[in-house]
Amino acid sequence: MTVDPNVLLAIDLGAATASAALIGPVDGRRRLLGSLALPAGVSEDRLADHLLERIRRADPALADDLGLGDGALATVPRRIVRSAPPPTLVVLAPTVRARLAVERVAGLAGWRTRGASLEPDGTIGLTRTALERGVDALAVTGDPATSREETTAMTELAATVEGIVGRPSAPRLIRVGELARDDLGLEPEAPTGEGSMYAPGPEAGEPPGEPLRHLLERLDPTGPTSRRSALTALIDLAAALDRRIELVEVGFDGALRAVAGPHGLEASPAFVPAASAVPLDLDDDAVDEVLAWSTVALDRHRMRDRLRDLRLSPWLEAHGDGARLRLAAARAAVTRLVTLTPWLEALPAPDLIVVAGGAWAAAPGPAIALAIADVIRRPGTSQLAFDHARLLGPLGAIEDPVERQALFAELADDLLAPLGSLIVPLGLRAGRSAGRLTVRGPAGETSLDLVPGGLQLVDLPPGQLAEVDLRFRDPVGMGTRGRHLTVQVGGGLGGLLVDLRDIPLRLPERPERRRALLEAWQAAFWAGGDQ
Amino acid sequence: MTSDVETDERDLELVPARRLLDPEPIARFELAPGDRILVAEGDRVSVGMGLAERQREPRVDDGPPVAGATEVDHPALRAGDWWPGDGHEGGGPLRRRHPRSPAGELLHPEDGRWRIATGSHVDVLEAPAAGTVLEAIPGRGLTIRLAGSALAGTSAAGIPTRGRLERAIGETGLRGALDVGRAGAILVVDGRIDSEAIIRARATGVRGVIASSLAGKDLRDLQASEARQRASLQPLAPFAVLVLDGTARRPLAGPVADLLGSLEGREVAIVVDPPLVVFNPPSPAIPPPGRDRVRVMGGDLVGREGRWLRGAGLRRFPAGVLLEAATIALDDGEVATVALADLERFV
Repeated sequence: MTVDPNVLLAIDLGAATASAALIGPVDGRRRLLGSLALPAGVSEDRLADHLLERIRRADPALADDLGLGDGALATVPRRIVRSAPPPTLVVLAPTVRARLAVERVAGLAGWRTRGASLEPDGTIGLTRTALERGVDALAVTGDPATSREETTAMTELAATVEGIVGRPSAPRLIRVGELARDDLGLEPEAPTGEGSMYAPGPEAGEPPGEPLRHLLERLDPTGPTSRRSALTALIDLAAALDRRIELVEVGFDGALRAVAGPHGLEASPAFVPAASAVPLDLDDDAVDEVLAWSTVALDRHRMRDRLRDLRLSPWLEAHGDGARLRLAAARAAVTRLVTLTPWLEALPAPDLIVVAGGAWAAAPGPAIALAIADVIRRPGTSQLAFDHARLLGPLGAIEDPVERQALFAELADDLLAPLGSLIVPLGLRAGRSAGRLTVRGPAGETSLDLVPGGLQLVDLPPGQLAEVDLRFRDPVGMGTRGRHLTVQVGGGLGGLLVDLRDIPLRLPERPERRRALLEAWQAAFWAGGDQ
Repeated sequence: MTSDVETDERDLELVPARRLLDPEPIARFELAPGDRILVAEGDRVSVGMGLAERQREPRVDDGPPVAGATEVDHPALRAGDWWPGDGHEGGGPLRRRHPRSPAGELLHPEDGRWRIATGSHVDVLEAPAAGTVLEAIPGRGLTIRLAGSALAGTSAAGIPTRGRLERAIGETGLRGALDVGRAGAILVVDGRIDSEAIIRARATGVRGVIASSLAGKDLRDLQASEARQRASLQPLAPFAVLVLDGTARRPLAGPVADLLGSLEGREVAIVVDPPLVVFNPPSPAIPPPGRDRVRVMGGDLVGREGRWLRGAGLRRFPAGVLLEAATIALDDGEVATVALADLERFV
């Protein structure tokens, strides 16, 4: 029997997670029929075969109708995307300040950066760093010299770079900044005739660094990865749903944050390798960031070991304390992502926040909702949803925009698992009660006091809509400012979260008190999970 | 419809697989500017052969003059070439006086002369195993296809080394084993081990330690101790530590223990990048582990081994997490359901 032409197998082979989802027609409309996520390493065929077998067992009649019997595996059309480790850019500069300016921009364009400066590292340090294995490109930058010492340093840097690029094994050279242009008399992006090119400086453009970030994105040698495809998917999804959507994707090798509206991206997206679920370089700062969110009592050494093991085997012990540790690491990753993308944080709260990526693969929905509420703290009302079948990457990779957009329009309901809605008011005054909230939904009316500093959870199942009436004693900010606000919210796995905590969130300094507070907040979201 | 037995067999392939033997191991040896490469691409190297001279404290110095427009170097010098020092300058005869420029790696031309990376103290990097040089890049390193087979670890530290394989059981066994009679040995430690015991092992002439797990702090202590030794300018004897699993305490996997047991008393090598134990395959060859053999890597049953029975579908685990699960029969006869991702199998 031939496979129905509307059946599609969407496969995302990530660095840590391999997932497959089957899309097929049901009652004349394409629907998500099933999905599966497993540790990376399993073969693409085995993954797909396991999913098909599960669908055959769950609904033999549907499987027969769609031609998904034994032997169908080879003939089901597939859309496959893969993750790739981020490319590495080495930045050489006369000073640490000049180097970090370029590294900051490159780190938002999907490049993993390393660098050396003439000041502390010397010629040998510069040469060694540039010649390390796995370097995809070499950027050299510098400030205009204002003294004899600076002129000497720039001369020495130029000579060192000349020596590096003169070697047969040298990586591609990108000369960054005004100085390079003045020296070479080149226009932006012009090849210099020796395999190198000129790029605008890290402060050039509006917003500063945008032209350099854009150029580096285009120079990314890894090609179309699932993360890049997910950005295309976000734009189509925002158009299909006619809503403002923020995508927060965190994976093994990096993260993506972007905001799109019905007419396209609202600001530059950020591809940030430094915001991977577990950073490659587990320095003290990286370990402390996870400790700050951990409800598991561990010292720094033990936490570093746990994170190192998590990097080695991302799916190992994904339950119990391991699940909580993963979400602590994911919170730390999103915190880094938020810190590095202030221009996205400054945008108004979106209608919908879509959470995606392997960092959340095995986590319960309500716990994901709280993790996002803990870290992304914009005043306003947003819905939260999860790319549970990891479809954004594969569907975003469909070349034909008409086909892609049609698929998003049909699949919008299945594509995202609703996690709930989030209400975050700004400017609450401390006190016993800040006002009162009334939720009117299909199940009736619920009313509760708004206690400043608290996190209140209202049960609102997926698929249900409710009207929320908020009456505050004093004016608060929620996109608009007022005392009496009425908003429409949708339900989800985590229900309705009314988050009256500080913006930004303030946690106790003492570890025991911090853990106790985090546990108290999280208790309701992991409820019943330890049996 | 596929039979249940076939499905169970196929489900086993969903368990993360780990390769027990790499029949064509490739090792990399990192070098820095100023290090002198003693081999060339395509060379066959034997055990103990010098691969490179590593500078302990490289510095920048003046090298030979850059050839002028009318002069021609034979062959033309370029960055990365090795400059053998004065006496070869300009092709003139050797002169019996203090050299005008030391030997070193050409970095870049400046003010009419090459700048070179040079130094006073070198350590010779010896080949821990025989093989063929695939790549020799000045300033970056060597890549060598090693003869023999290899067992992969998860991390390693130290200098590539070689020695006869001996076993020690646990930290107590290791401490008891630390006498000069073990000099030249590579010890396999099945059980807990710390940096102090490893440093003592190195002091008694042991050439390396293979452990199932090692805490990150102990690994860092070891690296700090090695850095202190290097700073003392004493010649460093090759010594390396290889960790097979990670930082969480686990016993050696059964198939790995069997393999290392069959190599006891024989020469093996440890290379650091990637972390490998390299050896000539034992004869007679040890039988591969059973296809349905699995090992629990995480959770309450960590370290235990058994036989795959069947996939158990999606199950709810502690903290409310839904995961693919499997049913296995442990070696003591107990039947358990564990998260599929907590298992590993050897292929």
